Amino acid sequence: MSGPLLVVEGLTTEFPTRAGIVRAVREVSFHVEAGEILGLVGESGSGKSVTGFSILGLIDPPGRITGGSVRLAGCELVGLPARDLRAMRGREIAMVFQDPAATLNPVLRIGDQMALAIHAHETVSAAAARARVAEVLTLVGIPDAARRLDAYPHQFSGGMRQRVAIATALLNRPKLIICDEPTTALDVSVQAQILTEMRALARDTGTALIWISHDLATVSSLASRIIVMYAGRVIEEGPIRQVLSAPGHPYARGLLDSLPAKAVAGKDLMQIPGAPPSMLALPPGCAFAPRCLRADGACDAEPAPTVAGDRRWRCHHPHAEPTS
Amino acid sequence: MLGFIIQRLLQAVVVMMIISVLVFCGVYAVGNPIDVLISPDATQQIREEAIRTYGLDQPLWKQYLDFVGRLVQGDFGRSFVFGSPVLPLILSRLPATLELTLVAVVGATLVGVPLGMYAGYKPDSLAARAIMGISILGFSVPTFWIGLVLIFIFAVQFGILPAGSRGETRELFGISWSVLTANGWQHLFLPALNLALFKFAMMVRLARAGTREIMLTDTVKFARAAGESEATILRRHVLRLIAIPIVTVFGLEFGSTLAFAVVTETIFSWPGVGKLIIDSINTLDRPVMVAYLMLVAFFFILVNLTIDIVYVALDPRLRLRAAS
Repeated sequence: MSGPLLVVEGLTTEFPTRAGIVRAVREVSFHVEAGEILGLVGESGSGKSVTGFSILGLIDPPGRITGGSVRLAGCELVGLPARDLRAMRGREIAMVFQDPAATLNPVLRIGDQMALAIHAHETVSAAAARARVAEVLTLVGIPDAARRLDAYPHQFSGGMRQRVAIATALLNRPKLIICDEPTTALDVSVQAQILTEMRALARDTGTALIWISHDLATVSSLASRIIVMYAGRVIEEGPIRQVLSAPGHPYARGLLDSLPAKAVAGKDLMQIPGAPPSMLALPPGCAFAPRCLRADGACDAEPAPTVAGDRRWRCHHPHAEPTS
Repeated sequence: MLGFIIQRLLQAVVVMMIISVLVFCGVYAVGNPIDVLISPDATQQIREEAIRTYGLDQPLWKQYLDFVGRLVQGDFGRSFVFGSPVLPLILSRLPATLELTLVAVVGATLVGVPLGMYAGYKPDSLAARAIMGISILGFSVPTFWIGLVLIFIFAVQFGILPAGSRGETRELFGISWSVLTANGWQHLFLPALNLALFKFAMMVRLARAGTREIMLTDTVKFARAAGESEATILRRHVLRLIAIPIVTVFGLEFGSTLAFAVVTETIFSWPGVGKLIIDSINTLDRPVMVAYLMLVAFFFILVNLTIDIVYVALDPRLRLRAAS
């Protein structure tokens, strides 16, 4: 099998609301290679999580995918019958969420709820499922896993709970795991541990990751390529080093400039002026234009993606000229 | 856990003492049983003798102390009307009410909870609307009216079910039960249905509200992302999570139905305790009223204690607190 593991093309997801239709994801296109870690960054409401859920076909009605395609190893997922989608979830693509305290069921034993994820795809004996659960828990760094299968989530620390969630995602050896801000709810020292472990796990198991985060620093330590989203669109894509050293889109540049690491002691942190647009009243043309220092009349028209080698952006006035 | 139960039992003793004072004073403040019990033509001598026999010539506090004195020896006194000890009298009527209540509350739960979960899972479906319609009916139409309609339809019009009494019974542990004979079930069906309708409505609402809430949580999303089927999610995750409010209402409904199935028992001439208490109020049979109300208070204490123990079994997070 050749070609990328996951290809997303022109993906559009809409939510009808009382006030009008919210297009949370607008013609998003990207790909993920097998075993690759792709960073997906953007601020709250930029559509990054909805992109993740759209890939899995887990958009809650009345929201729905209205266009585009998601192909996993050549197989189209958009429009797949619910039964086939369910069989694919967890087995081909798994997902880890932000807050492990909310994702794990508080009234089920760890071993039992993880076994449910195995039984969803295979008929195996309870003992075999239990053994595999213990094995994967050990893999994600839970000490004495076999004896903790009968524990409940509240008996674990936040970091341990997230390890349990990650182990649940790994149970059926998926080719891709979508990680939706899995370290945001954890404290910093635990974050660093989990990041290191996830990188090692992805490498050892050959699992590709889509790492969704608003934290550029986290993503830069993990991902090999990065996608920046703004107001439902991918506005910049490229290898992480190149994007970080020479961002093309003014928004990506603004994000980098506002990193605390770039701040001068005693001065306020840099910030992007203005606030993200309401998804119900997007400006015509480039959604970032009202906040952009470089915007002019040309920005009233939607910029087409500029492709240059590995890199891609949507801007009439990029900072750097595309170099290949 | 044991300490918790002992503590609750000690509290129960205090509650029972307070209840005994309240009930005794309340019951002895109303009416004059002598007027009811003795023919108006009786001579003054007979009247005074009766008053002395029943201890009604004593001041209230003395009557109360006598009552408590007998109570600690397990003697609730003798019925004014039947002349027999009160406790065996009530206990002989209790099984009839107990089986009626059990069938009604358990039946309402077994039918109401799955239907309510379905209504919460697919709130916009036609079936869900039908279920909610029936539950509104169950809430708002008075019990006595439904009882009469049930008799009219099933006993009078079609003549397929009996309109009253217990039917054949069979002995088990020295007590006669209707649920052990087919004929007994025929007699039990209508009154149980009558009692169950309101409880069914409540269970439907409770299960629906809980299911709607839980279906939106990350726990369900995470289970879906792992590929678990909707049936598994409803059975293993949602049902466990909505169990606590359901157990609460189950217990309280069980207690109150056991105590106050008066209307249904009267309509269907079901020889249970509800009918006994109504008759004893009509004849101002004070010992029966006092003993009965104290028994009811005791039931509620028992039910609440059971609910608390079941909570701990259902929600592991409570175990830590119960242990400390």
